[in-house]
Amino acid sequence: MDCEECRERLYPYLDRELSPTEFEEVKVHLDDCGGCDTAFVVERVFLDQLRGSATSDVAPPGVRERLIVRLRHDVGSRS
Amino acid sequence: MAEPADRFEQQALSYLDALYRTALRMTRSEADAEDLVQETYIRAFRFREQFTAGTNLKAWLFRILTNTFINSYRRKAAQPQTTELDDIEETTLHRRMTETSPSIEPEREVLDNMVSSEVQQALQELPDRFRTVLLLDVEGFAYKEIAEMLEIPIGTVMSRLHRGRKFLQERLYDLARDRGIAAAKAMPRPAAAPKGSARRATAEKKQGA
Repeated sequence: MDCEECRERLYPYLDRELSPTEFEEVKVHLDDCGGCDTAFVVERVFLDQLRGSATSDVAPPGVRERLIVRLRHDVGSRS
Repeated sequence: MAEPADRFEQQALSYLDALYRTALRMTRSEADAEDLVQETYIRAFRFREQFTAGTNLKAWLFRILTNTFINSYRRKAAQPQTTELDDIEETTLHRRMTETSPSIEPEREVLDNMVSSEVQQALQELPDRFRTVLLLDVEGFAYKEIAEMLEIPIGTVMSRLHRGRKFLQERLYDLARDRGIAAAKAMPRPAAAPKGSARRATAEKKQGA
Protein backbone atom coordinates (compact mmCIF):
# COMPACT_ATOMS: atom_id res chain seq x y z
CA MET A 1 0.00 0.00 0.00
CA ASP A 2 1.40 3.43 -0.92
CA CYS A 3 0.82 6.72 0.90
CA GLU A 4 -2.01 7.78 -1.40
CA GLU A 5 -3.91 4.55 -0.93
CA CYS A 6 -3.31 4.79 2.78
CA ARG A 7 -4.63 8.38 3.04
CA GLU A 8 -7.72 7.43 1.06
CA ARG A 9 -8.54 5.00 3.84
CA LEU A 10 -7.88 7.45 6.64
CA TYR A 11 -11.46 8.00 7.78
CA PRO A 12 -12.75 4.47 7.13
CA TYR A 13 -9.76 3.26 9.15
CA LEU A 14 -10.36 5.63 12.06
CA ASP A 15 -14.10 4.97 11.88
CA ARG A 16 -13.43 1.22 12.04
CA GLU A 17 -15.21 0.65 8.77
CA LEU A 18 -12.50 -1.32 6.96
CA SER A 19 -12.47 -5.06 6.50
CA PRO A 20 -9.98 -6.85 8.77
CA THR A 21 -7.66 -7.38 5.80
CA GLU A 22 -7.71 -3.74 4.73
CA PHE A 23 -7.36 -2.59 8.31
CA GLU A 24 -4.22 -4.69 8.65
CA GLU A 25 -2.79 -3.35 5.37
CA VAL A 26 -3.22 0.23 6.56
CA LYS A 27 -1.71 -0.63 9.91
CA VAL A 28 1.36 -2.15 8.28
CA HIS A 29 1.83 1.02 6.22
CA LEU A 30 1.41 3.26 9.28
CA ASP A 31 4.05 1.31 11.17
CA ASP A 32 6.47 2.05 8.34
CA CYS A 33 5.53 5.60 7.40
CA GLY A 34 5.95 8.41 9.89
CA GLY A 35 4.21 10.94 7.67
CA CYS A 36 1.02 8.95 7.32
CA ASP A 37 1.13 7.94 10.96
CA THR A 38 1.31 11.58 12.06
CA ALA A 39 -1.59 12.50 9.79
CA PHE A 40 -3.68 9.71 11.24
CA VAL A 41 -2.85 10.68 14.82
CA VAL A 42 -3.87 14.28 14.17
CA GLU A 43 -7.15 13.21 12.62
CA ARG A 44 -7.85 10.82 15.43
CA VAL A 45 -7.40 13.59 17.99
CA PHE A 46 -9.68 15.82 15.93
CA LEU A 47 -12.41 13.18 15.78
CA ASP A 48 -12.14 12.47 19.50
CA GLN A 49 -12.42 16.16 20.31
CA LEU A 50 -15.32 16.57 17.92
CA ARG A 51 -17.21 13.67 19.48
CA GLY A 52 -16.48 14.98 22.97
CA SER A 53 -17.75 18.48 22.14
CA ALA A 54 -20.75 17.36 20.16
CA THR A 55 -22.11 14.78 22.58
CA SER A 56 -21.62 16.42 25.95
CA ASP A 57 -24.83 18.42 26.19
CA VAL A 58 -28.03 17.13 27.74
CA ALA A 59 -31.68 18.09 27.39
CA PRO A 60 -32.61 21.17 29.46
CA PRO A 61 -34.66 20.77 32.63
CA GLY A 62 -38.34 20.17 31.98
CA VAL A 63 -37.95 18.49 28.60
CA ARG A 64 -38.18 14.99 30.06
CA GLU A 65 -41.14 15.85 32.29
CA ARG A 66 -43.12 17.48 29.48
CA LEU A 67 -42.34 14.55 27.20
CA ILE A 68 -43.65 12.05 29.72
CA VAL A 69 -46.82 14.07 30.26
CA ARG A 70 -47.40 14.20 26.51
CA LEU A 71 -46.73 10.50 26.05
CA ARG A 72 -49.17 9.66 28.79
CA HIS A 73 -51.76 11.90 27.20
CA ASP A 74 -51.22 10.92 23.55
CA VAL A 75 -50.36 7.25 23.67
CA GLY A 76 -51.39 6.22 27.15
CA SER A 77 -47.81 5.52 28.20
CA ARG A 78 -47.40 4.38 31.76
CA SER A 79 -43.96 5.96 32.13
CA MET B 1 -39.79 -11.16 34.30
CA ALA B 2 -40.00 -7.38 33.91
CA GLU B 3 -42.88 -6.07 31.84
CA PRO B 4 -41.55 -5.65 28.32
CA ALA B 5 -43.60 -2.49 27.74
CA ASP B 6 -41.97 -0.72 30.65
CA ARG B 7 -38.53 -1.85 29.65
CA PHE B 8 -39.08 -0.51 26.13
CA GLU B 9 -40.13 2.83 27.56
CA GLN B 10 -37.24 2.99 29.95
CA GLN B 11 -34.72 2.14 27.29
CA ALA B 12 -36.26 4.54 24.80
CA LEU B 13 -36.18 7.39 27.32
CA SER B 14 -32.52 6.72 28.06
CA TYR B 15 -31.75 8.18 24.61
CA LEU B 16 -33.54 11.46 25.30
CA ASP B 17 -30.37 13.54 25.70
CA ALA B 18 -28.84 12.21 22.49
CA LEU B 19 -32.06 12.71 20.54
CA TYR B 20 -32.60 16.18 21.96
CA ARG B 21 -29.12 17.52 21.19
CA THR B 22 -29.34 16.13 17.67
CA ALA B 23 -32.81 17.64 17.21
CA LEU B 24 -31.55 20.98 18.50
CA ARG B 25 -28.74 21.07 15.95
CA MET B 26 -31.06 20.01 13.18
CA THR B 27 -33.81 22.55 13.90
CA ARG B 28 -31.66 25.27 15.49
CA SER B 29 -34.51 26.11 17.82
CA GLU B 30 -35.20 24.83 21.32
CA ALA B 31 -38.97 24.89 20.82
CA ASP B 32 -38.74 22.99 17.53
CA ALA B 33 -36.23 20.54 18.99
CA GLU B 34 -38.60 19.73 21.82
CA ASP B 35 -41.53 19.31 19.42
CA LEU B 36 -39.43 17.10 17.17
CA VAL B 37 -38.33 14.92 20.08
CA GLN B 38 -41.89 14.59 21.37
CA GLU B 39 -43.11 13.70 17.89
CA THR B 40 -40.34 11.12 17.60
CA TYR B 41 -41.29 9.43 20.88
CA ILE B 42 -45.01 9.50 20.13
CA ARG B 43 -44.35 7.72 16.84
CA ALA B 44 -41.97 5.29 18.45
CA PHE B 45 -44.49 4.41 21.15
CA ARG B 46 -47.34 4.10 18.67
CA PHE B 47 -45.35 1.84 16.38
CA ARG B 48 -43.45 -0.02 19.05
CA GLU B 49 -44.81 -3.30 17.69
CA GLN B 50 -42.67 -2.69 14.62
CA PHE B 51 -39.52 -2.58 16.68
CA THR B 52 -37.76 -5.92 16.86
CA ALA B 53 -36.63 -6.55 20.41
CA GLY B 54 -32.91 -7.16 20.63
CA THR B 55 -32.09 -4.93 17.66
CA ASN B 56 -30.63 -1.46 17.96
CA LEU B 57 -33.25 0.72 19.65
CA LYS B 58 -31.08 3.83 19.47
CA ALA B 59 -30.73 3.45 15.70
CA TRP B 60 -34.48 2.86 15.37
CA LEU B 61 -35.28 6.04 17.35
CA PHE B 62 -32.78 8.10 15.38
CA ARG B 63 -34.29 6.83 12.17
CA ILE B 64 -37.69 8.08 13.29
CA LEU B 65 -36.12 11.38 14.35
CA THR B 66 -34.38 11.97 11.02
CA ASN B 67 -37.45 10.95 9.01
CA THR B 68 -39.68 13.23 11.04
CA PHE B 69 -37.21 16.06 10.64
CA ILE B 70 -36.85 15.58 6.91
CA ASN B 71 -40.59 15.32 6.36
CA SER B 72 -41.88 17.99 8.69
CA TYR B 73 -39.24 20.33 9.96
CA ARG B 74 -36.58 20.82 7.37
CA ARG B 75 -38.58 23.26 5.34
CA LYS B 76 -39.23 25.52 8.26
CA ALA B 77 -35.89 25.12 10.03
CA ALA B 78 -34.24 28.50 10.38
CA GLN B 79 -31.54 28.64 7.76
CA PRO B 80 -28.44 30.57 8.76
CA GLN B 81 -25.81 31.41 6.22
CA THR B 82 -24.47 28.03 5.37
CA THR B 83 -21.33 27.41 3.48
CA GLU B 84 -21.04 25.64 0.19
CA LEU B 85 -18.60 22.80 0.48
CA ASP B 86 -18.02 21.98 -3.13
CA ASP B 87 -15.14 24.39 -3.41
CA ILE B 88 -13.38 23.48 -0.23
CA GLU B 89 -9.90 22.52 -1.04
CA GLU B 90 -8.29 19.41 0.22
CA THR B 91 -6.10 21.44 2.50
CA THR B 92 -6.40 19.49 5.65
CA LEU B 93 -5.50 20.70 9.06
CA HIS B 94 -2.59 18.34 8.93
CA ARG B 95 -1.27 19.21 5.52
CA ARG B 96 -1.47 22.94 6.05
CA MET B 97 0.30 22.74 9.34
CA THR B 98 3.02 20.37 8.34
CA GLU B 99 3.95 22.67 5.48
CA THR B 100 5.64 24.88 8.03
CA SER B 101 6.43 22.48 10.80
CA PRO B 102 7.70 18.96 10.87
CA SER B 103 6.46 18.56 14.42
CA ILE B 104 3.04 17.45 15.56
CA GLU B 105 2.97 20.07 18.32
CA PRO B 106 1.30 22.92 16.42
CA GLU B 107 -1.60 20.75 15.34
CA ARG B 108 -1.93 19.51 18.85
CA GLU B 109 -2.04 23.04 20.16
CA VAL B 110 -4.93 23.94 17.88
CA LEU B 111 -6.69 20.68 18.58
CA ASP B 112 -6.18 20.92 22.32
CA ASN B 113 -7.67 24.37 22.20
CA MET B 114 -10.76 23.35 20.30
CA VAL B 115 -13.59 25.07 22.09
CA SER B 116 -16.93 23.42 22.40
CA SER B 117 -18.81 26.58 21.46
CA GLU B 118 -16.71 26.90 18.32
CA VAL B 119 -17.42 23.31 17.37
CA GLN B 120 -21.12 24.08 17.76
CA GLN B 121 -20.75 27.22 15.69
CA ALA B 122 -18.88 25.43 12.91
CA LEU B 123 -21.46 22.64 12.91
CA GLN B 124 -24.27 25.17 12.54
CA GLU B 125 -22.62 26.62 9.46
CA LEU B 126 -22.69 23.30 7.64
CA PRO B 127 -25.46 22.73 5.11
CA ASP B 128 -28.16 20.36 6.43
CA ARG B 129 -27.17 17.30 4.47
CA PHE B 130 -23.60 17.42 5.73
CA ARG B 131 -24.53 18.32 9.28
CA THR B 132 -27.06 15.51 9.58
CA VAL B 133 -24.46 12.91 8.58
CA LEU B 134 -21.92 14.35 11.02
CA LEU B 135 -24.44 14.47 13.86
CA LEU B 136 -25.34 10.83 13.34
CA ASP B 137 -21.66 9.94 13.15
CA VAL B 138 -20.80 11.59 16.46
CA GLU B 139 -23.65 9.68 18.07
CA GLY B 140 -21.79 6.52 17.14
CA PHE B 141 -23.66 5.13 14.15
CA ALA B 142 -21.91 3.10 11.48
CA TYR B 143 -21.83 4.23 7.83
CA LYS B 144 -24.41 1.59 6.97
CA GLU B 145 -26.79 2.68 9.72
CA ILE B 146 -26.52 6.32 8.64
CA ALA B 147 -27.10 5.31 5.01
CA GLU B 148 -30.24 3.40 6.01
CA MET B 149 -31.57 6.20 8.19
CA LEU B 150 -31.17 8.82 5.48
CA GLU B 151 -31.88 6.47 2.57
CA ILE B 152 -28.71 7.45 0.75
CA PRO B 153 -25.85 5.27 -0.55
CA ILE B 154 -22.93 4.48 1.74
CA GLY B 155 -20.60 6.26 -0.69
CA THR B 156 -22.60 9.44 -0.16
CA VAL B 157 -22.34 9.04 3.61
CA MET B 158 -18.57 8.70 3.27
CA SER B 159 -18.17 11.69 1.00
CA ARG B 160 -20.38 13.91 3.16
CA LEU B 161 -18.50 12.85 6.28
CA HIS B 162 -15.18 13.53 4.62
CA ARG B 163 -16.13 16.94 3.31
CA GLY B 164 -18.04 17.90 6.43
CA ARG B 165 -15.06 17.08 8.62
CA LYS B 166 -12.69 19.01 6.37
CA PHE B 167 -15.00 21.99 6.54
CA LEU B 168 -15.06 21.82 10.33
CA GLN B 169 -11.27 21.67 10.43
CA GLU B 170 -11.04 24.75 8.23
CA ARG B 171 -13.47 26.67 10.39
CA LEU B 172 -11.92 25.58 13.67
CA TYR B 173 -8.53 26.56 12.38
CA ASP B 174 -9.84 30.03 11.45
CA LEU B 175 -11.58 30.44 14.78
CA ALA B 176 -8.45 29.36 16.65
CA ARG B 177 -6.42 31.87 14.68
CA ASP B 178 -8.93 34.61 15.43
CA ARG B 179 -8.63 33.76 19.09
CA GLY B 180 -4.88 34.13 18.78
CA ILE B 181 -3.77 30.56 19.18
CA ALA B 182 -0.07 30.81 18.47
CA ALA B 183 0.22 27.69 16.36
CA ALA B 184 -2.61 28.69 14.06
CA LYS B 185 -1.24 32.23 13.77
CA ALA B 186 2.13 30.97 12.66
CA MET B 187 0.59 28.89 9.89
CA PRO B 188 -0.03 30.23 6.41
CA ARG B 189 -3.58 31.13 5.51
CA PRO B 190 -5.49 28.31 3.83
CA ALA B 191 -4.72 28.38 0.14
CA ALA B 192 -7.39 30.21 -1.82
CA ALA B 193 -10.44 30.36 0.38
CA PRO B 194 -13.38 29.62 -1.89
CA LYS B 195 -14.44 32.83 -3.57
CA GLY B 196 -18.08 33.81 -3.52
CA SER B 197 -18.99 30.27 -2.76
CA ALA B 198 -20.18 30.74 0.77
CA ARG B 199 -23.76 31.57 0.03
CA ARG B 200 -24.71 28.91 -2.44
CA ALA B 201 -26.22 25.74 -1.16
CA THR B 202 -27.42 23.96 -4.22
CA ALA B 203 -24.47 22.54 -6.05
CA GLU B 204 -24.64 19.11 -4.49
CA LYS B 205 -28.27 18.79 -5.48
CA LYS B 206 -27.26 19.25 -9.08
CA GLN B 207 -24.90 16.36 -8.74
CA GLY B 208 -27.60 14.34 -7.09
CA ALA B 209 -25.30 13.50 -4.21
